[in-house]
Amino acid sequence: MAVKMTETDEILQYLNIKNDEELFADIPQKLRVSLDLGLPMDEFSLITSIEKSCSNNVSPAMNFLGNGIYDRFIPPLVDEIIGRNEFLTSYTPYQPEISQGILHSLFEYQSVISDLTQMDVTNSSMYDGFTALAEAVRMAYRINGKEEVLVPENIYRSQLSIIQNYVIGLNLKIIKYKFGKDGLIDMEDLKSKISDHTSSIIVANPNLFGLIDENAFTVSEFKKEALLITYYDPVSLGLIKSPGEYGTDIAVAEGQQLGIHMNYGGPLLGLFSFRKEYVHRSPGRLIGLSKDNSGRKAFVMTLQAREQHIRRSRAMSNICSNQALLAVASLAYLSILGSNGMKKLALITMNKSIKLKKELYNAGINTVFKGINFSDNLFYFDGQEKLIRSNISGGIKLSELSDYPGYKNSAFFSVTEKTSDESISRLAKITGE
Amino acid sequence: MRALADWQKLQVNKMYKQAHYDEDFLNSFNTGNDFYLEEVEDRYPDSIKRKRLKLPDVRSVDVSRHFTRLSEMNYSVDIGMYPLGSCTMKFNPKYADYVAALPGFQNVHPLESESRIQGTLEVMYRLQQLLIKISGMDYASLQPSAGAHGEFTGILIVRKFFEVNGQLGNRDEIIIPDSAHGTNPASAAMVGFKVVEVPSNDNGLVDIEALKAAVNPRTAAFMITNPNTLGIFDDQILEIAEIIHNNGSLLYYDGANFNAILGITTPGIMGFDIVHFNLHKTFATPHGGGGPGAGPVAVKSYLREYLPVPVVVLENGKYSLYYNLKNTIGKVSSYNGSFGVILRAYAYALKNGNNLSLNARRAVMNSNYMAKKLSKSFEIPYKSLKKHEFVLSTSRTGRKALDISKFILDYGIHSPTTYFPLIVKEAMMIEPTESVTLKDMDYYIDVMEKSLEVPEDTIKSSPVNTSVGRIDEIAAARNLILKWPDSCENS
Ligand SMILES: Cc1ncc(COP(=O)(O)O)c(C=O)c1O
Repeated sequence: MAVKMTETDEILQYLNIKNDEELFADIPQKLRVSLDLGLPMDEFSLITSIEKSCSNNVSPAMNFLGNGIYDRFIPPLVDEIIGRNEFLTSYTPYQPEISQGILHSLFEYQSVISDLTQMDVTNSSMYDGFTALAEAVRMAYRINGKEEVLVPENIYRSQLSIIQNYVIGLNLKIIKYKFGKDGLIDMEDLKSKISDHTSSIIVANPNLFGLIDENAFTVSEFKKEALLITYYDPVSLGLIKSPGEYGTDIAVAEGQQLGIHMNYGGPLLGLFSFRKEYVHRSPGRLIGLSKDNSGRKAFVMTLQAREQHIRRSRAMSNICSNQALLAVASLAYLSILGSNGMKKLALITMNKSIKLKKELYNAGINTVFKGINFSDNLFYFDGQEKLIRSNISGGIKLSELSDYPGYKNSAFFSVTEKTSDESISRLAKITGE
Repeated sequence: MRALADWQKLQVNKMYKQAHYDEDFLNSFNTGNDFYLEEVEDRYPDSIKRKRLKLPDVRSVDVSRHFTRLSEMNYSVDIGMYPLGSCTMKFNPKYADYVAALPGFQNVHPLESESRIQGTLEVMYRLQQLLIKISGMDYASLQPSAGAHGEFTGILIVRKFFEVNGQLGNRDEIIIPDSAHGTNPASAAMVGFKVVEVPSNDNGLVDIEALKAAVNPRTAAFMITNPNTLGIFDDQILEIAEIIHNNGSLLYYDGANFNAILGITTPGIMGFDIVHFNLHKTFATPHGGGGPGAGPVAVKSYLREYLPVPVVVLENGKYSLYYNLKNTIGKVSSYNGSFGVILRAYAYALKNGNNLSLNARRAVMNSNYMAKKLSKSFEIPYKSLKKHEFVLSTSRTGRKALDISKFILDYGIHSPTTYFPLIVKEAMMIEPTESVTLKDMDYYIDVMEKSLEVPEDTIKSSPVNTSVGRIDEIAAARNLILKWPDSCENS
């Protein structure tokens, strides 16, 4: 940034000092450094230089990556909205009277995610899906103080690691429950592990094998005093039973698919919803509706007494900055697509999965499970070098993502509405060779 | 005609009026969705389907207008001065947004193979190296998603360090000054530490005697920011580091105030072991009305093995993700960090280069200029030499910080941070940053001074030029409404 000499001279004069060095008299000389951070650049050279870095990325000829982050179509209106500098360049709405735009938007975000999940309350965002999941485990512990959390045996290694980090200071044991040969929750095993000590049970739907898991719909019937935490796929909710419909206490998800670019996995959006009786134990920020002094509708951050700036070491979470802008993106996305658009999107995705499974089957590649898949499909497949040769992204091994003990020779191929029928056929041809 | 009082003149000269729309909720528009997708076959059993889905039913044009109108009801750095102390609301350069929108970066999946994302990894590696350099640390991880998340990560490292060294059970306390930001004690407690607060001394600095009294064999770490939240540089820092290190404890640097020292001194040379950065502050990335941010962490070499994985490494001209850290704390984010924020921060750093320290110097000049001018009308406790921000107290003016903060809004400028740090009564924390001009500051100071002159009822009834007037926050908490009413249609 260009510093106007005349202005700095005026400031120095007013401060009655010769140079700005005097303003650093309190930093002892022995603490001073002289760093070479490079020559400043003009904007054109800067952009050229970064475009050059960008050109070192290679786009795949076809992309079958998923497992949480998906390449979906983003209506340009979404970027237009979150690119508006009134939203983009504002801070957390500490002065609500002058920040109604973002507050109103975040309140609507809380509403639309509550409608999508059929849950009572949604907070105004968490960092990402996996930290939202870990915060849900902490919240359940705050609510019932019980000492065990049941997690699916196929849980991703990164999810597990984050949960372990988030509960490190709590007296909480992580116990894995099993899956049947059909790739669905092994209900007998899960039931045998639920006890009076169970604080929470995590179910994923679609589960981490990519299947719609009907067994998850019944877990709440025998969960005892444990809280049911459901990790869902927000696009699947265009069609599939919502977490609220099957007795979920805390519903969490990664919201990236709702109008957010993949961006190598960040910034993302943690969706976090729960039953209203737990609101005082919940993490993160909440936007509430109130009135101004002339009775007009007005929004504020509310229940701040749960938060770090007031409650400090006894706060419900340490969250200060969250993912507000991405929350607005997801609100815009869901509003543009509407119920009908979301339903079709879910159907298109599932139909593409069927097509993929059929074509790969015809090429001699079998699915591991027979069930209904959403985006992610697990195949017996270890021909990754064929993919590399043809510049195809995908074929992530189950063992790369999870410590699950079985299906060592299996790998994922994922689809979205952007996956063309031709690319599925080409994938079948290449992998079947 | 009666002459206008001074404060009235200012109002006449600088009338600001924010838009107000009585904007409906999107779920009550019912203008008919027009997002076209072809008809698709549905052969799935009802047993897996939801019974009902009720999202807003609106045309795209209404979505566009809705958010455009809402945006007109939102203040931002691109509208005017936004000197929220501790938030570093400097101008967010547009070249950074431009490069962040390059499809070659935006469309990268986080599980993409390393050979296809050499450009992405190059940006990450270079920012890692830059953060290492400006902090005087040895290794860095870009994984944490915000400042508080960086603190959490850093404190996990502290915990793991003592665990590996067989001292876990014995080191269960973290010391924090009473001037600390709320995230510091909250993060320490999340990792299972007991939080011990030490009072500040009469100069607003760490009270060395109190610190010595608090430090004991159970102390795992001391967390501070320097300059502190009063905007004062604690020149006892080497002594503090010695006290902490002699006790076998670690020193943690909250980098929220890095904009004061960039290129001038480093946490490394001050004796810190672990640092977090707030890229959305120091590196000018847009804060999006609350986030996203990014909170990378850097450590000294002896803590390298504890960093979250993966870190980006460069070997024989190739970038790769390195997982093999012996004592790693594992993962704190879903993937490898907020790349969209990292890229903007990298663009800002590369563009400014050696001018980064000029920005720091200008930020400090601006802060001292405003402090000196405002000290005529307001009490500015503690030492007069400030760094990038300062805290005044409105106590002696007879006016509440809250009232003044609302009055300011009527002039088309954003208020300072109020009621923080907790150790100053009726606190207003002002951080002008390097982005403001002399004229911006003089206008701001004028408005602050006028706030002391206007009649009581004027200030109590402000703001009047914002979209809405003062809001009943107590009612919001008492009668909780956290989502829109169901629309009657199709329910
Ligand atoms: C001193 C200090 N520490 C930590 C934080 C937390 O940072 P973040 O909002 O990025 O989580 C802030 C943010 O305001 C701060 O001012």
